[in-house]
Amino acid sequence: MSQLDKKAGLLRRTSSSKKTLKEKVVLMYDEIFSKEDPAKNAPRFWDELFLMKVNLEYLELKLESVDEEVQHSQANINALFHYCIQALGEEHPIKVVNALQTLCALFRGVHQKNRSASGFDIINLLMGFDKAEQRMKDLMERLDSLLCGEGSESLKSLCLKLMLCLVTVTDNISQNTILEYVMINSIFEAILRILSDVSSKHLHGYDPVVLLALLVNYRKYESVNPYIVKLSIVDDEPTLDGMGMVIQQALTEYNRQFRDKQEETQGGFFSTLTSMVGSMFIADADEKLSVQTNEAILLALYEAVHLNRNFITVLAQVRSNIANSSTMLETILSLCRVVMNNPELPLDPNLQTTNLLITFLKYASILMQDTKDEHRLNSARLCLIILTCIAEDQYANAFLHDDNINFRVNLHKMVNLMVEFIVTHMMKDFPMDLYLRCVQIIHKLLCYQKKCRIRLHYTWRELWSALINLVKFLLSNETTLLVKHNIFHLALLVVNLFNMFITYGDTFLPSSNSYDELYYEIVRMHQVFDNLYCMVLRVSTNTGQWKEAASKVTYALVNIRAIINHFNPKIESYTALNHISQLSEEQVLEVVRSNYDTLTLKLQDGLDQFERYSEQPKEAAFFKELVRSISLNVRKNVSLNTMSQDVLLKEFSTIS
Amino acid sequence: MEDTELEISPAPSDQNSPSLSISSSSSPSVSLPSTPSSSCGSTQPVAPLLGVINEGVCELSLVIDAEVAQRACHEVLQKVKLQQVGSDDVTDLHEQTDPVVPGGPSGPIAAEEEAKPEGLVPGTVKSTRRRQKHNPSKQSWLLRLFESKLFDVAMAISYLHNSKEPGVQAYIGNRLFSFSHEEVDFYLPQLLNMYIHMDEDVGDAIKPYVVHRCRQSISFSLQCAWLLGAYSSDMHISTQRHSRGTKLRKLILSDELKPVGARARREALTLTPFCPALPHSTATTAASGSLVPDHGLSPSKRTHQRSKSDATVSISLSSNLKRTASNPKVESSQDEPVRLAPQREFIKSLMGIGKRLATLPTKEQKTQRLISELSLLNHKLPGRVWLPTAAFDHHVVRVPHTQAVVLNSKDKAPYLIYVEVLECENFETSSVPIRIPENRIRSTRSVENLPDCGMTAEQRAGSFSVVPNYDNDDEAWSVDDIGELQVELPELHASSCDNISQFSVDSITSLESKEPIFIAAGDIRRRLSEQLAQAPTTFRRDPEDPSAVALKEPWEEKVRRIREASPYGHLPHWRLLSVIVKCGDDLRQELLASQVLQQLQSIWQQERVPLWIRPYKILVLSSDSGMIEPVVNAVSLHQVKKQSQLSLLDYFLQEHGATTSENFLSAQRNFVQSCAGYSLICYLLQVKDRHNGNILLDSEGHIIHIDFGFILSSSPKNLGFETSAFKLTAEFVDVMGGPDGDMFNYYKMLMLQGLIAARKHMDRVLQIVEIMQQGTQLPCFHGSSTMRQLKERFHMSLTEEQLQLLIHQLVDGSMRSLTTKLYDGFQYLTNGIM
Repeated sequence: MSQLDKKAGLLRRTSSSKKTLKEKVVLMYDEIFSKEDPAKNAPRFWDELFLMKVNLEYLELKLESVDEEVQHSQANINALFHYCIQALGEEHPIKVVNALQTLCALFRGVHQKNRSASGFDIINLLMGFDKAEQRMKDLMERLDSLLCGEGSESLKSLCLKLMLCLVTVTDNISQNTILEYVMINSIFEAILRILSDVSSKHLHGYDPVVLLALLVNYRKYESVNPYIVKLSIVDDEPTLDGMGMVIQQALTEYNRQFRDKQEETQGGFFSTLTSMVGSMFIADADEKLSVQTNEAILLALYEAVHLNRNFITVLAQVRSNIANSSTMLETILSLCRVVMNNPELPLDPNLQTTNLLITFLKYASILMQDTKDEHRLNSARLCLIILTCIAEDQYANAFLHDDNINFRVNLHKMVNLMVEFIVTHMMKDFPMDLYLRCVQIIHKLLCYQKKCRIRLHYTWRELWSALINLVKFLLSNETTLLVKHNIFHLALLVVNLFNMFITYGDTFLPSSNSYDELYYEIVRMHQVFDNLYCMVLRVSTNTGQWKEAASKVTYALVNIRAIINHFNPKIESYTALNHISQLSEEQVLEVVRSNYDTLTLKLQDGLDQFERYSEQPKEAAFFKELVRSISLNVRKNVSLNTMSQDVLLKEFSTIS
Repeated sequence: MEDTELEISPAPSDQNSPSLSISSSSSPSVSLPSTPSSSCGSTQPVAPLLGVINEGVCELSLVIDAEVAQRACHEVLQKVKLQQVGSDDVTDLHEQTDPVVPGGPSGPIAAEEEAKPEGLVPGTVKSTRRRQKHNPSKQSWLLRLFESKLFDVAMAISYLHNSKEPGVQAYIGNRLFSFSHEEVDFYLPQLLNMYIHMDEDVGDAIKPYVVHRCRQSISFSLQCAWLLGAYSSDMHISTQRHSRGTKLRKLILSDELKPVGARARREALTLTPFCPALPHSTATTAASGSLVPDHGLSPSKRTHQRSKSDATVSISLSSNLKRTASNPKVESSQDEPVRLAPQREFIKSLMGIGKRLATLPTKEQKTQRLISELSLLNHKLPGRVWLPTAAFDHHVVRVPHTQAVVLNSKDKAPYLIYVEVLECENFETSSVPIRIPENRIRSTRSVENLPDCGMTAEQRAGSFSVVPNYDNDDEAWSVDDIGELQVELPELHASSCDNISQFSVDSITSLESKEPIFIAAGDIRRRLSEQLAQAPTTFRRDPEDPSAVALKEPWEEKVRRIREASPYGHLPHWRLLSVIVKCGDDLRQELLASQVLQQLQSIWQQERVPLWIRPYKILVLSSDSGMIEPVVNAVSLHQVKKQSQLSLLDYFLQEHGATTSENFLSAQRNFVQSCAGYSLICYLLQVKDRHNGNILLDSEGHIIHIDFGFILSSSPKNLGFETSAFKLTAEFVDVMGGPDGDMFNYYKMLMLQGLIAARKHMDRVLQIVEIMQQGTQLPCFHGSSTMRQLKERFHMSLTEEQLQLLIHQLVDGSMRSLTTKLYDGFQYLTNGIM
């Protein structure tokens, strides 16, 4: 109890007698937690309560300590919850603000106390079983109308905070039984409305997007989540745009911070973000925090890309950093008569026009520089998953590969990012999972290019040498890696990438020279392929768990071996004939060019087929963990923010 | 539009329906004053006539119906007739006119002969006219000309400008109603400039016609408002505010000139005894008019749209009269309270973009900014907006923003946009297309799941377009699809290619047992180089010159590509237009030049001289902004040279084939014909600033001159460069086959023929320029001798032999001209134009 008193007294530092002079609101709280009905003696008790400034900490502590008297005060707590919801409908904003904050404290306090308790007990304690459905319906309706109404933006912001608070009270979002009511009484439309509104989008920051991402993840795999269904069919441009913009802002902010820091520490030597120098960059605590915060943003991006087919357009949409698009209402109006109040964009010549995809690629490249930390590793994985979804998507591909778009969409950047990742992560603690994803992304892009006969002007040689180096690394660390990973799967993917180039190069290589260069590279590095062949042959002839996997690689290598066996003697005889000790590249290419016709290759099936990404069985555990970590983080941050809503109170009190 | 034309069509006197003329002449003739004085004779009858025919005249005192005007014209003629012949039979008059001017194939020449003594030398005309005032017989002769078949708009404008007599002016003002809209529209700048800058009487004569047309058409209203603003801008600021032009402009923009109200209309219709054919036809148009929006809207789910259509239906029901209910004007006045606003806003935002672009330093930034600004604009489309440079009625539905490019210019930022439109019958009455969200385009993920992975982009787009109505089945599939995303349905996947892929990797092992397929590495390599060779020549992308690539792409290909990517592409009325938006440039001179070009083109066509020129549409929005219709499939000589690094002849060889090939020969002929045309134009109009950036070359070999910023008396920077008559470089001559070749002689011959033809119709050209000279500060009219010098360049006094000599001299002079080369060098140094 003494601790409680101290909390109460904190707000009255001048007061010397802590015991006697308590805040009025604290006294009222005490009354609620007594056995008596507080309204019995003071009929206007509830009215008055919401006029008082909320003492969140006291209320929460009080709730935590109700342990033994739970049974007695439950009726009063239920009443408090009920009146909170009623107060949300009040005209006076101060009452609404107080009610929102009280609700926040109620949700949090109850959960803090009853960490082990089942969801049903909590519901019973808060609102009573019999009335729970009605109460929650009222609450969601009130919140919905507050969010959609014309009211103050700070009020809406507080509503979102309350929702975030409610969603993150449990570590595992799927165990939060109250959310079942949020599923039934959807506030999806209200969140979208906030996102589509120009003015409010900037004020609420990431809250609406994070809230949406979390709600989508509630019992994702077990039941039909209406938020998933709804999110996947959204096709309103301004809304999707707004969502994209919020995500982009968050990522841009991080990129900017990183650049600033880099310039600070390295004297501006590395101004380009894509230049990756391994783990040169040492993350400090500050920075880690923001990576963690951005997990939620990335999750939102993932859900949007994965679920909503229309979001892909937003990804590649060009926009100014500070752009305000028209509201949904305006768009509808424009159908019958165009009311073009021309949106004046801010006049800034240095304004960077960019798109979400580029920002995202930048972010990913920064993130991948250091994957030692668990959060960073998870984020990097998520980034690669998002890229997988993009690389698989027809429309995204069509857009990325469209040569006629005047604005440079950096498909190159995407391939570069993959190549650089491959080059820079060959370490003892081998991120096999990330490598697999990386190689698969490249494969998916190649499949699209092959299918649509698109010739990307990229120096593929960089990719080839990166892949060959990867094989080299796998070979030299065979024993250590085999303990943890199936390196043959990765090797098979890599070899099949080469097979793609060899067999279908005519459909997507940018020049005939590049085909010659491919052969040159293979012949030049034939040692690596020879070694790989020896290794897989050895493993596949032995009996063991890798027998099957290794033999697949043996067969996949057939064309590469044919090339090596065909050209090596030719080159040797050319050397002997011309009495040259060392052939120049040009000379080798000459030999290659003149000896194509005598080389026969085997057509391998299924080179341009790939396994489509699916979240359900394979990634479910990853996402569960990720959502848990996001929940913890959001809960931590939201509590701080709620306190700062005192500022908001002042805003209203001065107005009225 | 439909029904106005119906009103007008029987009007022209040369093909008038007897019933109409009889009915009009019989009833109002009673109210005619019998005084023969022509000054009031033509204006006076108008007022009582209006009173008789139009009941609602009190609210719209200025309206003159085409019918009324037509009748008024007849009144005047009739009076003359009465005086002269003493017979009031109208048909008799026609019989009388006909022998004077024989029709048939010799028509134009006859007109020529007749017009010459009258109109050629304005000075004499004036004096004769002054005499005519007191000479009724002469006057009637003039009237007979006015009444004749040969009296066309050009003559009308000319008399309006030259005549000092209010009666004649008023008569012509009425006579304007009988010409087709297109004919008069050509002279709209002249008409409005006269309205602004000439005396009261001319203004009074023109105003009824303008007001009448404004009521009929939104686009005409805006066109007038823009031109009035532009041509008033040179007046002194104090007079400008109170000038007629400004007042009329305000009147138009205030949107008081709405179509005549339903009530007045109805009464008019019920009271006037029309011939039976007319109401019937209006009724049918009306019926179709009211049906169209209904039909267009019914599949829509947007509630506000539906309510609108419901409203229109209820209006038409309540008014209960078939005729009026169907009148599209009624509808537009009801549901379109701000009829001018959308278009004005559209134009305004395009101009706003131009202004903001000008502040950005680099081309790349400008391009990016342009694209993002246009994507915002897209949010507000489609609407009841259109591109005024287009030749057909349409609604703008989308701006493919990624295709827009900033054009080469040093300090301003003109830009080129492509605009997707849906053609419609009438943009004022047809319903505005329903918005299809951008992202609807990627119709289905399920399509991607189809086994046929080898489907090309075109095929996919094609298959989507079969489903025009997205709204209805949209939700249906998406729900299913969610299910698929969520719960992996095994049986569904069994048929898709994914599944194959899942064990494709595994299948390699089992494949060994099958008969292996062999391919030759040499074949792959050969296919690669063959396919690369087939690719068409395109320009490299250059961030400093983004327009080069965009302009090089063949128009058809661009249309196909944009159509494929557009959510509206599947609609049958889909069209692609393009427009250059200029901000900060005065396009009035361009407009003048374009009119002269059009006039010369029609003259040459009429005289069957195969000179080729390509006038392009100009829209003047104000004295410092406007829009230009781009010439498609053409790039500037500068871009050609810079990108190809070839001489012009070599470029021709590269693009069209060897010198003896069919393609090359036709390209060469096109080149010569266009060169001849533009050489003459450059000479006649004294077009300057002829550097290679201002000369385009189209895919058929024609050259096209653009940018007429320096014509007549003005020249860039007054450096006195470019003294030669026109630009004829050695490269041009090379393409023609050298100075001794047949084609070069053909070139000179064409020029001679062209000049002779132009000389014959000199008046039609001079008139355009002369009228625009009034009240202007344009640099092309600098000095007092502009008109005289222009006239002199037609060399009326020379014989054909002398003309031939003149052409030779001009060509020789231009070929030898050092200044042309010097000027190109100067341009290269200052502007980087090759």
